[in-house]
Amino acid sequence: MKIAEILHPQPLFVEIAPDRLLARRGDYGVEVPLERGPAGGLTAPAKEKAVATLKDFLKAKTWQPRVRAWCAITARGVSLRRLSLPPGTKEEFHERLLLQIEAEFPLPPDEMAWGFQTLGQAHPGNGAMARQDVLVAAVKKDLVLEFYEILRASGAEPAFTLASTARWNFAGQPANSFAMLDIGTSQSELTIFENSVPATSRIVFWDGTNPGSLPDAQLEILAQTIKGNLAGRRLLVSGNRISKEFTERLERSLGNGCRCEPLESTSATGNSTAISGLEKSVAEAGSPALVIRLQPTSVSTASLASLDWKTWAPRVGALVAAVLLLPYAEALLLKPHLEKKVAAFKAESERLTVIDRELDFLSNLKLSQPPYLDVLYVFSKSVSPGTRLDSLSLNSHGQVSLRCAFRDGQQVADFRNKLIESGFFTNVVVEEQVPTPDRQRVNVRMSAQEKTAAEMQIASARLAVNDSSKTEKSSPAGARPPAPPFAPGMGGEPQ
Amino acid sequence: MSRLQTMTDREKRLVRLAGIGIAIYLALFGGFELWKSFDKRRADYQQLVQEAKDLRQQTLPYQDKVLLVKKLMEDFHMDPAKLKKETVVSEASAAIQQAAKSDGLQIGPIRESPAHGSSLTLATMQLESSGQVPAALAFLASLNSIGFPLVVDSVQFTADNSRPGQVKMNLTIFILDFAQQKGPKEAAHA
Repeated sequence: MKIAEILHPQPLFVEIAPDRLLARRGDYGVEVPLERGPAGGLTAPAKEKAVATLKDFLKAKTWQPRVRAWCAITARGVSLRRLSLPPGTKEEFHERLLLQIEAEFPLPPDEMAWGFQTLGQAHPGNGAMARQDVLVAAVKKDLVLEFYEILRASGAEPAFTLASTARWNFAGQPANSFAMLDIGTSQSELTIFENSVPATSRIVFWDGTNPGSLPDAQLEILAQTIKGNLAGRRLLVSGNRISKEFTERLERSLGNGCRCEPLESTSATGNSTAISGLEKSVAEAGSPALVIRLQPTSVSTASLASLDWKTWAPRVGALVAAVLLLPYAEALLLKPHLEKKVAAFKAESERLTVIDRELDFLSNLKLSQPPYLDVLYVFSKSVSPGTRLDSLSLNSHGQVSLRCAFRDGQQVADFRNKLIESGFFTNVVVEEQVPTPDRQRVNVRMSAQEKTAAEMQIASARLAVNDSSKTEKSSPAGARPPAPPFAPGMGGEPQ
Repeated sequence: MSRLQTMTDREKRLVRLAGIGIAIYLALFGGFELWKSFDKRRADYQQLVQEAKDLRQQTLPYQDKVLLVKKLMEDFHMDPAKLKKETVVSEASAAIQQAAKSDGLQIGPIRESPAHGSSLTLATMQLESSGQVPAALAFLASLNSIGFPLVVDSVQFTADNSRPGQVKMNLTIFILDFAQQKGPKEAAHA
C-alpha cells in the first residue's frame, strides 16, 4: 500500500434509497436493506446491521484517517430554491445566504442540513450591483442524521449530495430543459431540470418492483402521474432493470411528445447511476458541485456524545505513557551522540587556550607600542619658525627630554604652552634656559612626561579633528605636517 | 501430572495465588530496578546536557576573540604561533636592518644583549642609524608591521652636525618572547 493511499484512503460512494443502501468503493460494492419503522425512521436492528455491514466492507484502520463517504440522497424531504444574492467577501456572502435561507425555507438553517451551488458568474442587474445565482438544497436534519451516525460509526466521514444531480452528472451533464425519472421498488423520483439545474423534484409512489414485465394498466398509472410536467421534454429514465423496451412503452403511454431514453449504469453489486455519477464528479472535480452538510455545532455535539471510550481510552493512555517515557527515551537515544560531541569539543578546547594566549600577547604588544610618531607630530606642530632642535629623546616610560635653541624667551614660553595645550604632556619643565653670548638665541633644555595612554588617545583624536578642519580650509586633503626642525637646516628655519 | 491431578481445588487456588503473588513481586522488583536504571541514565544525560550547555556558554565569547586576534595579526603582519624562539631574534634583527635600508637609513653599530632570567623579552637591540628625518620617521612607523613582536623602548634623535639635513637616530628595541607571555599587562607608561 502506498503512503498516499494510507493518508488519503479511497472514498466510499453511497446511494441512500428508501428501502436500501448501496455502497461502492473501488471495484467492490455492498447492498444493505433498510427496514423502517412506522414513523419512517430506521429501526435499531437495521441501523446495527448497516453499521456492521459497512464496517466489514470498509475494514477501516483506527490509525488511518476516516474514509470520505459521498452519499447521494433521494428527493424525499429535499427543498430546492434558486436564490440571487449580491456577491461579497466569503463571510458577507455566507451571512446573506443564511438570511435568505431563513426567509425562503420553512425551517431555520440550524434545523436543516443544507448546501448550495453557485450557478455561473455574478451578473450585473439593471443598473444595480451584480448578483450571484445560487441553488440551495435543504433537508430536515433528522432525515440525514441517522445515516450520518451510521456512516460515522462505520469509520467513514459522510458528506451528502442529491442523487438527481449525481445522475445528471452520469448522463454527461445534458444542457437545456429535461427531466429525469428514477424508478424505485416502492417509490420513484422525478426531477425537472431547467437549464441544467434541478428546478423541482418530487416523489412518485408507484410499485416498480419489476419494470420489465409491467402490465400496461400499471404503466398507465405512472404515465398519468407524471405526464403533466413532461410535455415535449426529454425524459431520462434510470433504475434497476430499466430497458429500452420499458422506455418505449412509457413514451407511448405518455403520448405527449415526450422522448424517453434509458440511463443505464454498469451492472455490479452496489452500483447505480447515482453512484456512477458520484464517482465521475469526484474523479473530475474532487467533490460533487452541491454538497449538503450538517452544521458543525450539531456535529461536534454528536461526536462527543458518541465518543467510543473503548477505542479512545487506550489511545489516551498510550499518549500519556509516551509523554512520561519521552525523557527516558531521549536519554537512551541521544546520550551516545551527545557524549561524542562533548568529547570532541573537549579535545578541541586546547585551541581555546592558544587563542587566549595569542590574544593576550597581541593585545599586550599593541598596548606596549609607545606613541612616538604622535609625540613627534605634536612637536612639529608646536615649534615656532626659526627653532633649532639639537636632540630629542623619548622612551617607553613616557619621558621626553629635548635640547633646542629658540630666538627669544617668548618663543620658549609659546612652545611650552602649545605642548601643554596639546593634551599629550604633563609636567612640561624648562630645566635650563641660557641666552647665547650674542643674545641672538636662547639655548633651552626641557623635559616632559607623557600622559596616560587613554588621555593621549583622546588628545590625539581631538588633534586629528582640528587638523582635518584646518586642512580642508587651507590645503589639499592628506597634506602631511612638517617634520620636527632638527638642526642644522632640517625642516625648521636655517641656522 | 499425577500429583497435580490429586490436588484439591483449594490447593490449586492456593498455588495459583502464590504464582500470581510471585509474578507480581518479580514484576514490581524488576520494574523498580529497571526504573532506577533508566532514572540514573536520565540523570547522567541531564548532567551531560548541562555540561554541553556550559561548554557552549564558554565558547560563545571566543567568536569575538577570534575576530580580534585576526585583526591584530593582520595589523602586525604576524602569527605568534609561527614564531620560533630559537630563530626569532636573528630573523627580527635581519628584518629591522632590511627595513632601515629600504627606508633610506644608513645603519651604524648594532648591539644585541640577551634577556635576563624571567624577563618577557628575548633580547634587547640597540641600533644606531642616520638619515633624512622623513626616512627615520618612516622606519619608526614600519617597525610595527615587519612581522616580529618588537617594542621600541627608547628613541633618541640628534642633529648630525657633520652632515647637514640629516639626523642620527638611536633606538633601543625589545624583542618579546611569545612563549613567556602569560597574560595582558599594562602599557609600560600607562
